[in-house]
Amino acid sequence: MTQKTEEILSLFSKSEELLEMFRKGRAFTEELMSENERLRYRIVQLEREKIDLTDTLMKEVERLKLENSQMSQKLEFLDTRFHQVEEENKDFAQRYIEVEEQNESLANLYVASYRLHSTLDPAEVVLCIKEILVNMIGSEEFGLFVVDDETSELVLAGYEGEIAQRLERGRVAFGEGLEGLVAQTGQAFFTEDAGELGEVCACIPLKIKERVVGVIAMYKLLPHKGGLTPLDHRLLELLAGHAASALVSSKLYALADRKLRTIEGFMNLLRVR
Amino acid sequence: MSKKAFLVVDDSATFRQLLCMSLTRLDGISQGDITEAVDGQDALGKVRDNNYDLVLTDIRMPNMDGLEFVNKVRTELKKGDLPIIIISTKGADEDIEKGMSLGASGYLSKPISMTKLRELVSDCLGEQA
Repeated sequence: MTQKTEEILSLFSKSEELLEMFRKGRAFTEELMSENERLRYRIVQLEREKIDLTDTLMKEVERLKLENSQMSQKLEFLDTRFHQVEEENKDFAQRYIEVEEQNESLANLYVASYRLHSTLDPAEVVLCIKEILVNMIGSEEFGLFVVDDETSELVLAGYEGEIAQRLERGRVAFGEGLEGLVAQTGQAFFTEDAGELGEVCACIPLKIKERVVGVIAMYKLLPHKGGLTPLDHRLLELLAGHAASALVSSKLYALADRKLRTIEGFMNLLRVR
Repeated sequence: MSKKAFLVVDDSATFRQLLCMSLTRLDGISQGDITEAVDGQDALGKVRDNNYDLVLTDIRMPNMDGLEFVNKVRTELKKGDLPIIIISTKGADEDIEKGMSLGASGYLSKPISMTKLRELVSDCLGEQA
């Protein structure tokens, strides 16, 4: 009997344990279900977030693409502008050189005209023209002719090089040779070469208005002077104008001075008698 | 450019005037900074009595030519540091070579180019003209 009671008690105890186990199992299952519920909710949340993020990323990519395209356009514009400015700079540099050359020529012209009109001695004027042709124009061989009104010929008044040996009597008739032709027509003549063949490379009439009073013929330039530029042509023509008036005024002054001395001589002679 | 003294030597008054005008077109140089001499002899006396920073001399001149002048400045006056630029009428002739061997600092050919003059003056003075 006692044994049965113990068995019954043992069975109760085991059933209690079993019940306790079931209870725990139930609680655990409930906990698992709750966790499962939470996780499912989290999955839904994450999926939603993922969709949102994809949208945001897509939008951002689109924005960056647009920005990139705008930047490319800007870069292209700046590149074009850079090349334009570069070209403009080159153009300005070239213009600067040209202006510098023109300034140089103007300075030369100023000094030349100042020197030409600073004397009334015909020999000094001729010397001055020679200096200008060598030092400013860079001529190695040239001839300065003045018109002899009595014979209508060109007379060699100054030269550099071998021109005197080539000319008979140092005179050229109007219309004869290029020098005579230039004196006759009053038109300047320029060739492209630097006169290495010994031929005339420039022949300029010395004119006062339309009256030709002389001719400058340049036969050869200095070795380092490659040729005459259009600026040289202009400078030579301007110089020719100054040289012509300086030559004529010095000749007239010398003539007037000589006449004055003659008259004074006569007057003195009359006074003595 | 700080204040400098220049000596221009040439028997041609026209060229002297032109050279003076060209120099005054460089920054900081005025007419008062430039002295003129008519030949080598005249220049030698001026170099002996004064201190110049740069001398520009023609080669072919009466009395004393530019080459003799350079030689005397270097040997008699013992002014080895004085920059002297020789100016030749012909481009690359023997005169230039001789002048350079005698102690010239540089050379120019007539007609003078403003660009070359500026470069040479800057080189000789060791500063931006």
